[in-house]
Amino acid sequence: MLNIVACFKWVVDDADIRVDTGSRKLNVDKAAYKISAYDRNAIEEAVILQEKHGGRVVAVTVAPPGAKPCLKDSLSRGPDSACFINDPCCADLEPSQTAQILARAISSKMDYDLIICGEGSGDIYAQQVGPALAERLGIPCLTWVNKLSCNVDERRIIAERKLEDGVEVVSAPLPVLVVVLPDINAPRIPSLKQVLGAAKKPVENVLLEDLGSIPGARLLTTDVVAATMDRRRIKFPADADGVREAVNALLREGVVS
Amino acid sequence: MDFNLTEEHQLIRQSVREFCDRYVCPIADEVDQEPRFPAETVKKLAEQDWLGIPYPVEYGGAGSDYLSYVIVVEELSRACATTGFTLECHSCLAEFPLFKFGTEEQKKKYLTPLCKGEMLGSFALTEPGAGTDAAAGTTTAVLDGNEWVLNGSKIFISNAPVAGVIIVFAMTDKSKGTKGISAFIVPAGTPGLEIGRHLNKMGIRGSLTAEVYLKDCRIPKENLLGGEGQGFKIAMMTLDGGRIGIAAQALGIAQAALDESIKYSKERVQFGKPIGTFQAIQWMIANMATEVQASRFLTYHAAWCYDQGLPYSSQAAMAKLFASETATRQTDRAIQVHGGIGYIKGTKVERLYRDAKITEIYEGTSEVMRMVIAGGLLR
Repeated sequence: MLNIVACFKWVVDDADIRVDTGSRKLNVDKAAYKISAYDRNAIEEAVILQEKHGGRVVAVTVAPPGAKPCLKDSLSRGPDSACFINDPCCADLEPSQTAQILARAISSKMDYDLIICGEGSGDIYAQQVGPALAERLGIPCLTWVNKLSCNVDERRIIAERKLEDGVEVVSAPLPVLVVVLPDINAPRIPSLKQVLGAAKKPVENVLLEDLGSIPGARLLTTDVVAATMDRRRIKFPADADGVREAVNALLREGVVS
Repeated sequence: MDFNLTEEHQLIRQSVREFCDRYVCPIADEVDQEPRFPAETVKKLAEQDWLGIPYPVEYGGAGSDYLSYVIVVEELSRACATTGFTLECHSCLAEFPLFKFGTEEQKKKYLTPLCKGEMLGSFALTEPGAGTDAAAGTTTAVLDGNEWVLNGSKIFISNAPVAGVIIVFAMTDKSKGTKGISAFIVPAGTPGLEIGRHLNKMGIRGSLTAEVYLKDCRIPKENLLGGEGQGFKIAMMTLDGGRIGIAAQALGIAQAALDESIKYSKERVQFGKPIGTFQAIQWMIANMATEVQASRFLTYHAAWCYDQGLPYSSQAAMAKLFASETATRQTDRAIQVHGGIGYIKGTKVERLYRDAKITEIYEGTSEVMRMVIAGGLLR
């Protein structure tokens, strides 16, 4: 039996972001929101382990009250219940604040063996909430995990970590926090019965004020603009010499080697 | 009045889009061009509980509503009209008559495996000499002891080559005209049931459409669906609901044409500017978007009427008429926006243009839709 917490973030759908060509400012006025794609892997992995070992999965998010549609969305993906920590100020938290809020909610309200987070959020992709949350809870943290199994009898998790220079297999005692990579699984597409059943699952509504005061932000975002890519606009003739020239140019730039 | 979809309906749309991105879009061109029936996708449709959406859970359905079904057909058709239609034909034409007119035993035996996706269903009404004029059908059914003996031939029967069961309409008393038509449940593999050649179509090319022959085809007496002589009523009621599904298919095709046109008009540069900055293109896009939205409102309204238990025959006819003609018109415009590249095989709008036309024809032509609408008004 495993009690698993899967953390997720409700983020703006990047396909809906519009960029003002002059100022390069991002316009999200008409954008829809969705569960961060990386966090879908976290939810899916939690559900896979629960299906294998039994237990319960709770999906947890910290979000503004308007993010309520995220609850049925997350529950349709398999968790047994959801915990909705909400406050208008949660629209714009920095990772350290999110980690602190999650730590307080999880330590005060949940029995857990395993916490699973996605690689990073789909919006700011700071990759800090998972490790910071583990630190605040005082439990081991395994990052870059692309394969996960559990020895329930020995109460240990076994994880394959995909590192730049190879694969590392590690084991840690429960409770533990795991940060999973997108290639760990292909998140299930909720079936119709799962969508309809989501409304019947319990949701714990937690107000931020119930968790005590949260320290102010330490980062000041002064501006957000779209990245631009300057094109070289180099033209090559469509003949054999042109092809050689193009290949040499790519080699010089390090695009191919 | 609330034009918002419920959270569930929005999630269903999101699920179908995810499904299409993963499984339908990558093979849509191949399904069209080979052509081939997307059997692997149909299996996955069952896993998503989409093969019996508006039917009760006790019969293997999802226990949802017609609007959910419409959203699924719309989104599948937006990616691949063949896939959308395969589901429509199965859900409306085969499952509906069993659900509405079947005995408890018939529902358990045939509707349940259909809803669970253990087999596909088909509907055989049209004959070479009896299209819109169903009363001109020559297929007969004669009771011989405890068996019905069916003889005749059917044409343009969708899903027939892959169906586990076919709802077949036949004359039990020719002298009574439409009141002499009865409906029968004919399982695949019944001796005397033969599936003829696969017809080579202009669009929805992956959908299997065939001739069906009945040669002394004997089925048990209890396979009569509804009462004797109720066949025409069963067929017409089935087609009323089916038309909402075809409207949804047409809507999906038209939406895809609009999507492709918007995308291309932002990318394609002529005279130093994206063509979307030219008024000629803008007006085409504006007209397309307006007609697509009008089609959506008509289609969703017809589904809503169905769900509310209100009359929906005229609403279904209006939705199908407008959405199908919109699909034909707007896929034509989409090719115009694309110019030469839109005429080339492998371009999505070229496929959409061919897929759209059938929506004006099957399950009642546009002319029949106008008859139904006018009939309701001038009665």
